[in-house]
Amino acid sequence: MKEKLSESIFDKISIDYIRNQVLKNAYGNDDTVIARLDPRVLLIWYCFFGIVPWFLDNVVLLICLFLFVAAAAYKAKIAPLVMFVFCLGVFSQTGYLLIVSLFFGGNAETIVPVLIMTLKVAIVSMASITVFSGLDPDRLANGLLWFGCPERLSFSISFAYRILPILMEEFQNILLSYRMRGKAPKKKGISGKIKYLIYQVKVIIQAFYPLLLNTAKRSRTTVEALELKGYRYAASNKEVKRMKLSSLKIVKHDFAFIAISVVWVFGSIGMSVTI
Amino acid sequence: MNQKANITQSQKLMVFVLSMSLYGLATLFTELIPSFQVGIVEFSVEYFLFIPLTLAILFDPMSAALGAATGEIVFSEIMLGQFGGLGELEKFITLTIGIYVAGRLVKNPKNRKAVAAASIFGMILQQFMGCVVDILKVQLAVSDFEAVPGLPQSVFFTEGFAFLNDVLFSGILFCMLPTVFLVPRLYGKIEPLLGLKPRDEKNLPAGDAGMTAKAAAGAVIGFAAAVGAELLAESGMSLIDWEASWAESSTAFIVGIAAAAVLVILVCSRILKNSRRTEAVQGEM
Amino acid sequence: MIQIENLTFTYPGAEEPTLKNLSVEIEQGDFLAIVGNNGCGKSTFCKTLNGLIPHFTAGDMEGKVVIGGLDTRECEIGDLAQKIGYVYQDFENQIVRPTVLDDASFACLNFDVKDYEEKGRRALEMCGIAHKTDEYIWQLSGGQKHLLALAGAAALSPEILVLDEPIAQLDPAHARDIYEVLKTMNETYGKTIIVIEHHTEYIARYCKHVMLMRGGGIAWKLPAREALCRVEELQKSNIFPPQVTLAANRVAGGAETVLPVTVEEGKEFFGRYPQTDVAKARILDAPPEENTILEFENVSVEYRSVKGDPVRVLNDFNLEIHKGEKIAVIGSNGAGKSTIMKLMCGLLKPSEGKILLQGQNIKEMEMNELSQILSLVYQNPEEMFIKDSIRRDIEYAMKVRDVENYQKRTEGLLERFQLTDLQDRDGRLLSGGQMRRASLAIGIALNPSILLLDEPTANLDIATRKEILRTLSDMKNITDTVMIATHDMQLVCEWAERILVLSGGKLLKDGTREEVFNDREVMKEAGIQPPEIYQMGKEIRPEISCYTVDEFLRLFQREAV
Repeated sequence: MKEKLSESIFDKISIDYIRNQVLKNAYGNDDTVIARLDPRVLLIWYCFFGIVPWFLDNVVLLICLFLFVAAAAYKAKIAPLVMFVFCLGVFSQTGYLLIVSLFFGGNAETIVPVLIMTLKVAIVSMASITVFSGLDPDRLANGLLWFGCPERLSFSISFAYRILPILMEEFQNILLSYRMRGKAPKKKGISGKIKYLIYQVKVIIQAFYPLLLNTAKRSRTTVEALELKGYRYAASNKEVKRMKLSSLKIVKHDFAFIAISVVWVFGSIGMSVTI
Repeated sequence: MNQKANITQSQKLMVFVLSMSLYGLATLFTELIPSFQVGIVEFSVEYFLFIPLTLAILFDPMSAALGAATGEIVFSEIMLGQFGGLGELEKFITLTIGIYVAGRLVKNPKNRKAVAAASIFGMILQQFMGCVVDILKVQLAVSDFEAVPGLPQSVFFTEGFAFLNDVLFSGILFCMLPTVFLVPRLYGKIEPLLGLKPRDEKNLPAGDAGMTAKAAAGAVIGFAAAVGAELLAESGMSLIDWEASWAESSTAFIVGIAAAAVLVILVCSRILKNSRRTEAVQGEM
Repeated sequence: MIQIENLTFTYPGAEEPTLKNLSVEIEQGDFLAIVGNNGCGKSTFCKTLNGLIPHFTAGDMEGKVVIGGLDTRECEIGDLAQKIGYVYQDFENQIVRPTVLDDASFACLNFDVKDYEEKGRRALEMCGIAHKTDEYIWQLSGGQKHLLALAGAAALSPEILVLDEPIAQLDPAHARDIYEVLKTMNETYGKTIIVIEHHTEYIARYCKHVMLMRGGGIAWKLPAREALCRVEELQKSNIFPPQVTLAANRVAGGAETVLPVTVEEGKEFFGRYPQTDVAKARILDAPPEENTILEFENVSVEYRSVKGDPVRVLNDFNLEIHKGEKIAVIGSNGAGKSTIMKLMCGLLKPSEGKILLQGQNIKEMEMNELSQILSLVYQNPEEMFIKDSIRRDIEYAMKVRDVENYQKRTEGLLERFQLTDLQDRDGRLLSGGQMRRASLAIGIALNPSILLLDEPTANLDIATRKEILRTLSDMKNITDTVMIATHDMQLVCEWAERILVLSGGKLLKDGTREEVFNDREVMKEAGIQPPEIYQMGKEIRPEISCYTVDEFLRLFQREAV
């Protein structure tokens, strides 16, 4: 089991694959129903589905909400890898509790609260995936800015999406340098596999030395360019913020989305009451 | 321009950008690399904390710390959609404090012992704060926490174990050793690339010596704020729970919540419209 | 427009000033090329223009820089940014937003310009990438990114634009695009353009004035024609005049002061000189033995794309490489050159077909074995430096493989590539030429029998380029099979014995330089231009092909010894 995992970590999930998935997640779904919504509407939507489930204990209602959020996530065309990480996350947050509490002498009753909790976690994380991955990074940044998030954060989001492909490629190339010139231990036997794993982790850590220096070189140009483009000047200018946000508009599409959400939530409540 | 070692705003921005993008990239990987479990012991490649630690030791600690915390939120939380809402605030604050304190502790980056001690201390500080908050979180997320047989013990056990495990495993392997490996290698090389002077005893980023009372106080206040925010959230939660039992019917409560939510949405959309109108007016003026 | 008086600048910690007592005036509407060898202060000079010096970079600055009436010392960088736009050599890092329009209008937005989007659009229009307005940055090609960086700088409609080596990494077609855009900006919109440029053919075609910098000072500033005719002086500063000018100077034996700088001018000039009856045909080296060392069999490669179906970058590709060949792979950006190289080193796996190395399928080989036979030197040497000194970088591969006497071998390599004095420095902190040499040394450390080089001469000044060429021919006795992917046609002509022309993932042509460059169709389809001297030769003797200045000179009696 462990061997399989270690293999899957470093062979199957190549950096190239991760890069592709992240890019896909960031840019590949900008034409979905979800992505076209106003970021502010989505953020409010997220506030509802990200907070309210914590206060609910009705299994039926939670399942209904879960289905709705799952449908939204489906519509947002989330990249498979991100979905996988999501499932893993839900399991590691609550799924393991189930096993552990059984181990400590729990019984069937334990399962219900844990199931409720799992559902809660699932709804909340799914809602966040839908909003944060489904939205175009730039629109998300603008939405957050509107709600008064620091300008630095919204800039960081846009910039992160800009720099990520570059960084990944560079990191990949450095790792390839290690692969071409280094000598990985043979992967035979358990100790061989462990040695291989340790070697890989060591290489990844060492790869940050060149990466740090190369990125430092880059960020100098970037910050100089930001200076020339008046970024610092804009950060303290309210007028600029207003201009940036004036592109946000709530249209019919957004109202439709709100309406569907409200109807579904009420429907679910009705259902949970009758059952 | 001036001979004083003061770091300009732009240079701080440079450190911020560097720390954000690199630590962000690293957390992105750790988020995607599955951890493997042996029994209940989780061996995960958690926290490439050495990156911001290295930067905090070499450059302005505050920019490096803020950059790292922002980087984690942006890259691994928002980009992968793992954003946990308010809970991220706590992570943000503890991470910032941990890195900042570690960065302030080192006066001479060439002193390997100091670097090692500072990096492991920063890590422990961060992990400890995180652990405390984690226990509180689980305790309040499951409404009848105490009533579930075996649950409290298991949570305390796993959290406590995770803390020890993180400190011993991640702390030494992914914090201390790489930081000690990187800092002396980068020292004197990376600073000129950013147009800075290397840090030495006379040339400390904040202008004064190492860990001052002021900085320590700032860190304590920060942590208090993190815990406070968390506790506030918890008490708010229990208040509503209490109200729910007072309302005697969970259905009534549910309807109440839903109604409140709709109200919020309506109010928000109204605010949106209004604010746009006023903005438009302001724009014309 | 620009007035500089007695400018002296010293970087903090440096003993010598980088700029020494420099005074110059640049008029409005000029198209000025700044030339000079590496490290003569060109980039520093440009940074004093936009106020980065002294406002951003610390250091000692004396003297005065006045841009359009503003003293740079007294006004903010922001105010200057509206007067002067700057495009970096590493322009990629200057693009800070994720989408095209957003980046182009970013500066306008920050400076509170009401119609910022409109301004951005207009700048994109001006730079000829309006059709990319709504795309993401990573969807652009290198050339388009450069145009975007230019648009971002031009959006504030500054009167001056400064570009640091705008075409260093571009294929000739894209390079021409950039210069055509600059020309329009200069002529139609009346902008003052300043470029730092090594490629004198472009200076001849587009620039109005040339400023030569030497050791932190200005040697002279002259009209472009006149400047390019100062062949000796330019060569002393490691600047190579256009091939035509160079040839003319040699033919005239230095007797004439007015020399041709373009092919058109050359036609008239060379017509005045007597020619030999028969041009000596180039004696081809004996063809290498047909000993296949590497073979592509129906190889196809697909990349995962962000949207929709995977993209095919190589389609049913067949190729045989023989021992001892000197192969150049040419084609426009994105034609599949790097893909082939990555396939050969096993960094990419073919989705169909197989690659045989000495008869063995690469797929079944361990990376360790593979790297003993085959070695790749990246285009960007910085990505080859993984240790903290070049000595350690060179010895790394040998050390982990327990090569006997690896220390001695490392020493030998350091000496051979003149790196002994630099051995303890970090590769990244070296100059461009030194970095390139170090990366070559790393590449051949394991004595590979096949060496792959990706763009070995990009970003280099001519002297360093020559040095690399010399190193390449030096290496003949170490590595017998060498393959180079390049845009540099002079390199191709001087060095390659076999040329592969790629276009859209297909092998368009495979042959000697005669076969390739005389095939007009292929040249057109692949977007390649032969070196200037070839065109010059064709103009005066259509039946003869000459590829280097030396070959061209054989057409003339004076040189025909």
